[in-house]
Amino acid sequence: MKAKKVMSLALATAMIAGMTASATVNCYADEEDSVDKIIVFQSKVEIIDQLEELAETYEDETGVEVEVWGTTGDDYLQQLKTKLANGQGPTVYSLLPGAESETMKNYEADLSDLSFVDKIADGMADVIDDKTVGIPYTMEGFGMVYNKDLINADEVTDYDSFVKMLEDQKANGINGFGLSQESYFLIGHILNTPFALQENPTEFIEKLNAGEVKMADTPEFQEFAKFYAAIRDNSYNPLETNYDKECGDFATGKTAAIHQGNWCYSMFADYDVDFDMGLAPLPICGNDKIAVSVPAAWYVNSQASEAEQKAGKDFLEWLYTSESGQDYLMNEFGFLPVVDGMENESLDPISQQVADYAAEGKTISWPMNDWPAGIVDVYLVPVAQEFFTSDMSCEDFLAALDDAWAQANEAK
Amino acid sequence: MKKKKRKDAGWYALFTVPLLFVFATIVLIPFFIGVGYSFFSWDGLPLNPKVFVGFKNYVRLFSDSRFMTSAGHTVIFTVFSVLLINVIGLAFALIVTTKLKVRNAARAMLFMPYLIGGLILGYIWKFILGDGLSYVAEALGSSSKLLSNWLLDPTMSMVALIIVSTWQMAGYIMIIYITGIMAIPDDVLEAASVDGAGFWQTLLKIKFPLLMPSFTICLFMTLSNCFKIFDVNLSLTGGGPNNATEMFAMNIYNEIFSQSNYGYGQAKAIVFLLVIAAITLVQVSVTKKREVEM
Amino acid sequence: MKKGKSIVANVLVILLSILWLFPVYIVFVNSFKNRAELYENMLAWPKSFSFEYYEKAMKKMKFFHAFGNSLFVTIISIVIIVILASMTAWMLVRANNLLSKIIFSTFVATMLIPFQTLMMPLMQEMGWIRDTLHIQMLDNKLGLVYMYIGFGASMAVFLYHGFVKSIPVSLEEAATIDGCTKFGVFWKIVFPMLKPTTMTVIILDVIWIWNDYLLPSLVLSSKANRTIPLSTFSFFGQFTIQWNMAMAGLTLTIIPVVIFYLCAQKYIIKGVAAGAVK
Repeated sequence: MKAKKVMSLALATAMIAGMTASATVNCYADEEDSVDKIIVFQSKVEIIDQLEELAETYEDETGVEVEVWGTTGDDYLQQLKTKLANGQGPTVYSLLPGAESETMKNYEADLSDLSFVDKIADGMADVIDDKTVGIPYTMEGFGMVYNKDLINADEVTDYDSFVKMLEDQKANGINGFGLSQESYFLIGHILNTPFALQENPTEFIEKLNAGEVKMADTPEFQEFAKFYAAIRDNSYNPLETNYDKECGDFATGKTAAIHQGNWCYSMFADYDVDFDMGLAPLPICGNDKIAVSVPAAWYVNSQASEAEQKAGKDFLEWLYTSESGQDYLMNEFGFLPVVDGMENESLDPISQQVADYAAEGKTISWPMNDWPAGIVDVYLVPVAQEFFTSDMSCEDFLAALDDAWAQANEAK
Repeated sequence: MKKKKRKDAGWYALFTVPLLFVFATIVLIPFFIGVGYSFFSWDGLPLNPKVFVGFKNYVRLFSDSRFMTSAGHTVIFTVFSVLLINVIGLAFALIVTTKLKVRNAARAMLFMPYLIGGLILGYIWKFILGDGLSYVAEALGSSSKLLSNWLLDPTMSMVALIIVSTWQMAGYIMIIYITGIMAIPDDVLEAASVDGAGFWQTLLKIKFPLLMPSFTICLFMTLSNCFKIFDVNLSLTGGGPNNATEMFAMNIYNEIFSQSNYGYGQAKAIVFLLVIAAITLVQVSVTKKREVEM
Repeated sequence: MKKGKSIVANVLVILLSILWLFPVYIVFVNSFKNRAELYENMLAWPKSFSFEYYEKAMKKMKFFHAFGNSLFVTIISIVIIVILASMTAWMLVRANNLLSKIIFSTFVATMLIPFQTLMMPLMQEMGWIRDTLHIQMLDNKLGLVYMYIGFGASMAVFLYHGFVKSIPVSLEEAATIDGCTKFGVFWKIVFPMLKPTTMTVIILDVIWIWNDYLLPSLVLSSKANRTIPLSTFSFFGQFTIQWNMAMAGLTLTIIPVVIFYLCAQKYIIKGVAAGAVK
């Protein structure tokens, strides 16, 4: 008898395997025509909590439910692509404007008819084929984040004074200038500077891709390599330091300056920082500007139904024009204003300086967003790693970068 | 007779088809779709152009020196890891199946590193090999190469990767060996002990031959896990320094997700799969021959 | 004399286990530290043990809800894997013909495929199934269960296959003569004897499914469906990890598995004792 019981149980369970699927047919049948709900999927993990609150406020004010999907910072893009590819895409999502948004343009709805589009600061909206498709989150700027007790930024204006600063700090047992092992903090951001200093960075990248110019023959890059070598010779090895440690060393006064941007301010929250900090340009070829651009922008999924796209646009309209929406952007997310008429009065000191540089027009762009996809992690990092574990010369370093660039293009 | 045959076929289907159906829809169909994509140049997004390139992806792969190097790294890594994991996992299993009082606690403790997951384990070890070693070096006042950051040196990075994977998987493999050891009938061991067999004799002459099915299973599972290593690779070395520890799975992952070369990445995956399949087939058939029927 | 030796052996084994547990120690102590304390020394014992981060992590993870989801997915998947895989493996061993060999080799060969190369086509196939057959496999816990059965099949069949061979055919033949159907033979005679392997399969699959991040992250999107590993995502930023929360979350994730393992391992031993019906 017992065997029979077991048998029937087994049979039943075995059949579940085949039936799990069919049991669920009804769950999603009505998804198509309902627009009382939109889905937001985005990559900035730091604002997830605030975004959840915003979703509740939005539902209270408009009656439309906002579901926020989450992911870790690392695999966002992979998940977004997979979900768009199988028609499970979100309504509103984020991308990095540039090469990344260009490859996904078939999935980006035209947002030109949003009321605030002409008020977006110059060059900050993502425009592809004359259509505005991406609405910027915020501005971020990077350069030399420095300790005002240790460094007088007015005296660090070119290669010689930069090296002198490194040597002076070293004499006092302090690291002059810190990088860290994460791809963008190791080479991505710092290599952005010589690109941004070109007269026409976009054209320069095209020529570099076509092999018509070489970094090794370009003065800004030659000087960049000298900076890089000076850092190698006078500071700690960035390959041994991660982002957490880089910021910790800075917050505790062991490092005088780090190559970071305003996003790193939140890293200092748990420390008793007893000095003022500032943001100064990295003076490659006398550069006196901060690299400022948009770290992410909102896009609406063009593959969603018309009604859903409309709901997505309404959400963005609300976010950038309503009082509560703007309040979230400025005060909760801590974003810098990118649309005319918005202002943030409670900025942290580094963000404030980014805003000041932007107001004065003393900014350079982020051509790194137009580099071939994946080049920083896959091709540039190994070169930097070799540089920091050997006594590679500046010439060899630039030649290796040129090689890496060629390989990245060959892979296309 | 014919009726019985048909009946047998019915039973055969009833027992195997449910699982085969699920398995085919989840693993086989996607795999063959993937094989199909390996003949296209495509970035993986359905709305973007898919260009048929025939065998071009496969031809290109053989001149891709970075891919070939990563395959080489994977082979080196796998050989050493498989040996270490199995030796240590088996040793653990033998220890915790003795009559020691602490065996149960030891079992749980030995297998816990596996639960942390490769990603976090990699981060933790990165810290131990960097800062941890420098504390030790300071305390000992030594400047030995062994106490400097391993992850800056190509060879030592590979060693680190092997050690961390062993750390992760030895406890996992131990579980399978334990099952095998527990399955050895007590009377066989008692008989051996009555005959005056010592520890080593029992181990080599009785336990090992009876453990052959476990060896087959464990070797294969470690082989396949090591060939596919990704998490620890990503978080511990990230493939560095200077690509010295870039493994096959990471190379494919970068190709598909960082550089959006979906078709080419699939071609790489398939070629490597064929190579591994050949190697493991040999392994399985060799160890299978040594199994004893009970 | 002998007693002294066994104490030494016990102590040595415990020392070895503790050494092996070193990474777990790091996870544990750092679940109590803030960024500044962690920066100071990752190895040090925490200055204070407040469960602040555990509380926060549990709240942010919606721990009990996620726990329920994880439990649901893990249990159903494993029950079905065990039943289907043991049946399949037994049949493949007993009907040892060419077809069986091909099927078995296919199972084994697919264990070598890196998941990353399957996930994109799999998700497309699931999208296609939804569009044409109107079966919603995505963002559905049962859909995830279905996929776990598919991905778990190979290893389970492989393990069972290895151990079925050690069971004497004579017992089965005797039962057949007594008039048992194949079904009866399998469930009455064979399955109880496979208990040690079943426990192994269960343990290995619990570890795998309970901790898996990648597959559920692709399949389950909506908040209501999140499993435990998915609910910790917001602790992992692109450049840095919120260590205290992440470590607290990880500790909360692995404690149930450790408890489970401690309970389950007893059955491996008992199972063998009961299964020795020779």
